[in-house]
Amino acid sequence: MEMFLIAAACLAAGVLTMLFPHGWQKAAHWLANGLALAGSAAAAYGAAAQLMGQKLHPLVWGAYSLACDGWSAIFLLLTGIAGVIASLYAMGYARSYEGNRLRVLGGMWNLFLLSMVLVLLAGDGFSFLLFWEIMAVASFMLVNHESEQRSTRDAAYQYLVMTSVGTAFIMIAFLLTGSASNSFSFADMARNNLQGVWQHAVFGCAFVGFALKAGLVPLHVWLPKAHPAAPSHVSALMSGVMLKIALYGFGRFVFSFLPTWNYWWCVIVMVTGVLSAFLGVLYAQMETDIKRVLAYSSVENMGVIFAAFGCGMLLKVTAGGHWYMLGFVAALAHAFNHSVMKVLMFMSAGSIMHGTGSKNLELFGGLARSMPYTALFSFIGCLALAAAPLTNGFVGEWLVLQSFITLAGSNSAQNIRLWSALCFILLGFTGALALGCFVRFFGITFLGRARSQLTEHAHEADGFMLTAMGLSSLLVLACGVYPLPVLQAVCAALQLPTDYALQGWGLAWAGSGAQAVFNPALLLLLLTVVGGALYLATAGVCQRQSVTWNCGTYPTERQQYSATGFSKPVRRAFDYLLKPKRQVSYMRKDHAYFGRQLSYKLEIPDMITEKLYQPLQKHFVRVSAFLRRLQQGSVRLYVSYVMAAMVIVLIWGALYK
Amino acid sequence: MEYLVVSLIFIVFLQTRFMELRRATLCLSVQSALIAAACLAVGLSHGGGLHGWLPGLLTIAVKVVFIPYAILKVVHQLRDEREIVSDINVNYSTAVAACSLALGYMVIDGLLPMAAGRDIMAASMFMIMTGLTLIVMRSRAIMQMIGLITMENGIYLLGLIMTEGLPLIIELGIFLDVLIAVVILVILTSRLRLSFKTTDTNVLDKLKG
Repeated sequence: MEMFLIAAACLAAGVLTMLFPHGWQKAAHWLANGLALAGSAAAAYGAAAQLMGQKLHPLVWGAYSLACDGWSAIFLLLTGIAGVIASLYAMGYARSYEGNRLRVLGGMWNLFLLSMVLVLLAGDGFSFLLFWEIMAVASFMLVNHESEQRSTRDAAYQYLVMTSVGTAFIMIAFLLTGSASNSFSFADMARNNLQGVWQHAVFGCAFVGFALKAGLVPLHVWLPKAHPAAPSHVSALMSGVMLKIALYGFGRFVFSFLPTWNYWWCVIVMVTGVLSAFLGVLYAQMETDIKRVLAYSSVENMGVIFAAFGCGMLLKVTAGGHWYMLGFVAALAHAFNHSVMKVLMFMSAGSIMHGTGSKNLELFGGLARSMPYTALFSFIGCLALAAAPLTNGFVGEWLVLQSFITLAGSNSAQNIRLWSALCFILLGFTGALALGCFVRFFGITFLGRARSQLTEHAHEADGFMLTAMGLSSLLVLACGVYPLPVLQAVCAALQLPTDYALQGWGLAWAGSGAQAVFNPALLLLLLTVVGGALYLATAGVCQRQSVTWNCGTYPTERQQYSATGFSKPVRRAFDYLLKPKRQVSYMRKDHAYFGRQLSYKLEIPDMITEKLYQPLQKHFVRVSAFLRRLQQGSVRLYVSYVMAAMVIVLIWGALYK
Repeated sequence: MEYLVVSLIFIVFLQTRFMELRRATLCLSVQSALIAAACLAVGLSHGGGLHGWLPGLLTIAVKVVFIPYAILKVVHQLRDEREIVSDINVNYSTAVAACSLALGYMVIDGLLPMAAGRDIMAASMFMIMTGLTLIVMRSRAIMQMIGLITMENGIYLLGLIMTEGLPLIIELGIFLDVLIAVVILVILTSRLRLSFKTTDTNVLDKLKG
């Protein structure tokens, strides 16, 4: 635990840099990010030690305690790694906020990291809720950092409202469990005596509360707004780590506090996850704001993680044997890998914004020339998010799909074949759409020709940012080619034997009856051999480079695919889901074929917002208008309410003594 | 004691009829004097001594003399001395007072059947309810203050009968509370007059956010 105390001390000291005088803001910036880096590194080191078998004794003060078991250690490891990388990035990136509350940014950054580390370490319900709320407030302050812009303020307040609702549900779940136990410490809550309908209530509240924080459909609406509003390193941490902490909390409830699982709980978790994955990636495909694309991609990946988690639950409920744990291994491995690659991609988005000053995909193009390193790292990140082999994204997805195959093939699960087949198809679809989405992201941003003047002045990111991005790209590739350490850590977290689901360099899985193997090293070797052979075979062939044939004219940059155009086929195919609103009008039309100018407006309303939240909001406003009539501002009216209440109580007391 | 109760009920009914501030204040003074008499009667029947007569004398000093005097001083500064803006008829408040007398008896019979001081408890319930009614139905600040003191008198009487004399220190505390409340209310009423040229509390509705 000493490492975690050191981490907490570093981060707490980092929070205090907020109080530096104005003239020292540069010093505050360096110190804050340095301390955040040191604190995160200490947390990661402590978590790694726990996962390698070191016993950690919980720290107890009366009813409150800090403890670290396997399940929290894997998330602490993920927090620590993402914290180190993002803090390194912040050293370069946050400098652009100089004179714009830089000290607050640094201090809040540390508070955010500190609260996340402490949420994961909390050993009782009260500390958990306290740190959970500090985390929500710190992230709200960070999202609201550029509060001069109205859209930022709106996004931040929507986030605050949504996260408060989520916390309310989590609080109910904790209170219900705690009232059926001796105390609120997790050890006592694990021995609760919840009965029947109360178990359903605890599960329902916990799932709603944590799904809201994880951004699962239909509770994801805050996420695509909060991420673009926040500074990039903050979105990286929010998406990479904070969403995973929701998984931690949900897992804590499911594994520790609810000993027996209902069949329908598992189905709900799985189906919600799959739907989030599918809808998330579908909307990601449609967005033209790079950070919104990434935010929706987070919805997708959290969906995949929860789908795998639900699949694991379902396997445990329906099938015997020990291989039900594959779903949980898949969920955790993908959570870890997604954290690394999403941090990388948000950092890339930050570098693009830093270099060009815009986050509109339609204005980019050809950035690979002016930002070659960012382009390289973004390429690796895009590959990982599109789950291409040899990146860590593929490892997680492979395990997720294997767990679904296992579910479909398990003997005792005849009645859930339909579920698993449907989910498998939707997940495969999700993968294909994700591939399209990130081909679009990378191609439109970095390849082709410049679409606007913005890209002419684009400049490469500075050393800190590139180092951070390089580090995480390296991690993405390393975990993709040699996935053993991550899987060992995951198995340690779930207290499984280490040779579970893996062999040497690759992954092997025999749960579904047939042997399934994925060996990245072998694949790499094969690719090298085939690539080398092709290179040698074509080395002597004569090549001629010329301009693309364009009916006799030179192609211009306006003739490239635009981001909106690229996703048109998907929009057509999913017309009934997306309901795009197109408006085409001619501004000038001299001739049927020439001299035309037209304006094209496209709007894709968020289905969930329109169908679920707006009616709800209207209803609330109506109810509030009614309540407003009760509250007219007249003191006499209020006194009469008191009087009426008194009379009613007196009469009631007199009649039913 | 029965005469005291009857005259108290009578005077409180009369309180709901007055619309003119000066007369209402004088009526309040008389009402407080009756409370003081009840207080002295209870105190002396329990053997007198310092604790026997001090609360009664304090009632006279604070509620019969000082509070009406302070209210009258404010009333002198006002030009429009009548509650004419009240949108709810005086008769309604008398009717509510009558209902609350019935309610008082009902509540006392329901909660404390066969209680010794049934009439006086019902009368104090009646005073509490009538005081609240005055606060709700009158819009002038002075009249609302009078309602508050009426309510306070009722609570004091109820406490006196139920406990047969509170500890002296608590009685002193109650008197101090009332005194301070009235001082603050008088100051606020003067401020209201200075700011809005009226003591009609309806103008305070504008303060709503």
